[in-house]
Amino acid sequence: MAGSGRIILISPVGDVDPAVCESVRAEIGRVFGYPTTMRPLLDDVSFAFDANRNQHHSTPILEKLDALAPADVLKILAVTRVDLFIPILTHVYGEAQLGGRASIVSLYRLGEDLSPAAGETAFLKRVKKEAVHELGHTFKLLHCKEKTCIMHYCRKISDVDRKSGELCRYCKILMGDEVKRLGGG
Amino acid sequence: MSNTRILIVDDELIMRESLGGWLARDGHDVEKAASGEEALQKLETNRFDILLVDIKMEGMSGLELLKRVKENDPDVDVVMITAYGSISSSIEAMKNGACDYLLKPFDPNELGVLIEKIVERQAQAKENLYLKEEHRERTRFESMIGQSAAMQTVFDFIQDVAPTDATILITGETGTGKGLAAKAIHSNSPRKEGPFVGINCGAIPEHLMESELFGHQKGAFTDAKENKKGRLELAHGGTLFLDEIGEITMRMQIDLLRVLEDRVFYRVGGTQPIEADFRVITATNRNLEAAIREGIFREDLYYRVNVISFTMPALRERKEDIPLLADHFLRRFSQETNKPFDGISRDAMDEMMMYEWPGNIRELENAIERAVVVGKGKKIEPGDLPIFRPEYREPPPKMSLKEMEQTHIRQVLEETDWNIARSARLLEIDRTTLYSKIKKYDLQKDR
Repeated sequence: MAGSGRIILISPVGDVDPAVCESVRAEIGRVFGYPTTMRPLLDDVSFAFDANRNQHHSTPILEKLDALAPADVLKILAVTRVDLFIPILTHVYGEAQLGGRASIVSLYRLGEDLSPAAGETAFLKRVKKEAVHELGHTFKLLHCKEKTCIMHYCRKISDVDRKSGELCRYCKILMGDEVKRLGGG
Repeated sequence: MSNTRILIVDDELIMRESLGGWLARDGHDVEKAASGEEALQKLETNRFDILLVDIKMEGMSGLELLKRVKENDPDVDVVMITAYGSISSSIEAMKNGACDYLLKPFDPNELGVLIEKIVERQAQAKENLYLKEEHRERTRFESMIGQSAAMQTVFDFIQDVAPTDATILITGETGTGKGLAAKAIHSNSPRKEGPFVGINCGAIPEHLMESELFGHQKGAFTDAKENKKGRLELAHGGTLFLDEIGEITMRMQIDLLRVLEDRVFYRVGGTQPIEADFRVITATNRNLEAAIREGIFREDLYYRVNVISFTMPALRERKEDIPLLADHFLRRFSQETNKPFDGISRDAMDEMMMYEWPGNIRELENAIERAVVVGKGKKIEPGDLPIFRPEYREPPPKMSLKEMEQTHIRQVLEETDWNIARSARLLEIDRTTLYSKIKKYDLQKDR
């Protein structure tokens, strides 16, 4: 279903800490400049579970989210605690429909290699970066070569820590083009 | 430079889709084929930089596809995809020319590194080709020639626009002399004492483009051992010619737009703003308006470069210039090769006048160069121009692409008396590729 609205929906999937979702919602509003709202669309994602891999396939979850979201929703960012995969890769931190409506970020691996001293703030930073990254794909942004850009593809968790929480100047312009095409932000 | 084109060959839809989706988000152009047979069909009409091929497929296996692909094009990079337990097939694939293999499901790190490595190597090869081509270009098209009405219009236009400082967009098919027109504008402008600095945006690998245009500060990246001025800085006081502007990446379009608006830029790794005063002329054989509609060219940049535009006519639209151009090239190549010719026979000229010249002046130039090399008489005859031979114009029916390639390579080698460097140049491939094709087709010199 195509979204003709102007709202970005943050949608917890399953049992997700509301404080994390709230933090993500505020960050999405800051970076993308659209009004945001928070509402669960999908509670049970067992349809996407692969028993052999003991992981959830993210692509059908995105399709389901897109089908369930009302028309006044421009983009959807789902937040989940389950471990996600796409068939060709061992795991993903999240997935998005390129230029489409739905995206998802998984918290499952974002807590890896966190020093106890780093604490909750460091974890939240990672979650916010990956959330913005996945949602960025729905605005047609591709992986960026700038290592500090939030659209840089992170192969390992240390890459997530290294990149900034901002779009580089190229991605900002491309994002602006897409927002303009969609009719303002 | 355009994006890396990748063909995924896998009979499992779910694998094609997930790999295709990931590569698309990574910025690559992706095509998918569900079988080896479909892949071969796509390869007949499309060029791909990388093939990702599943070893185990229904029908034609990945290994069989690899062999067929390598027979047709030894230079294409093929990565085999395999499941655990079939490592021996992967080793066999490597022996048959695959450049690497991946065990599925891949670690995201592995896939990204592998694609990056291949793209980097291919960019290096393109850079070498570009440097060779750049050297060659310096010796070609030394002047604009033409008495036709179409060319008179071009000359009048150049006369009118040259004295202004307006940005100009030159359009036209490949080989029509857009670069020459740009030089002519510069030579007739108040900036003629300044430099004319050209850059072929379609030939420079993406990773070098930024440094080529803007220059870099020492230490900006691993290979930046010294400060280097970019072409923008070198063009100060003169004219900057951006050829094939339709080929630049979106990122570079953003950078260029900023420079054209502000006339200020920074070297890569630099913090000092550099002001440059240059006139901009751009050229393209692409339909930029269509490129805007496709979302691959920025509309704001288009309006910035398209202040005044004109189109270089195709050679078929100014056939009356063919004798003049052919004579000019004949004299030049005759002198270069020290082979005196009296001229071009009437029959050869008649044939040339009837031909459509899809490659324009460049094709005519190549045809005359070839005729001078192979011609045995005092005049150029139709038989000296391979494009006019019956077998060239009407290829024998039922000849496969492979047979056609084999026949053509043999002909060129015989015409040049097996001079590898000259043959490679005429075939527009590098010598290594020519050697591998000679080996592949088991071609031997007649004794």
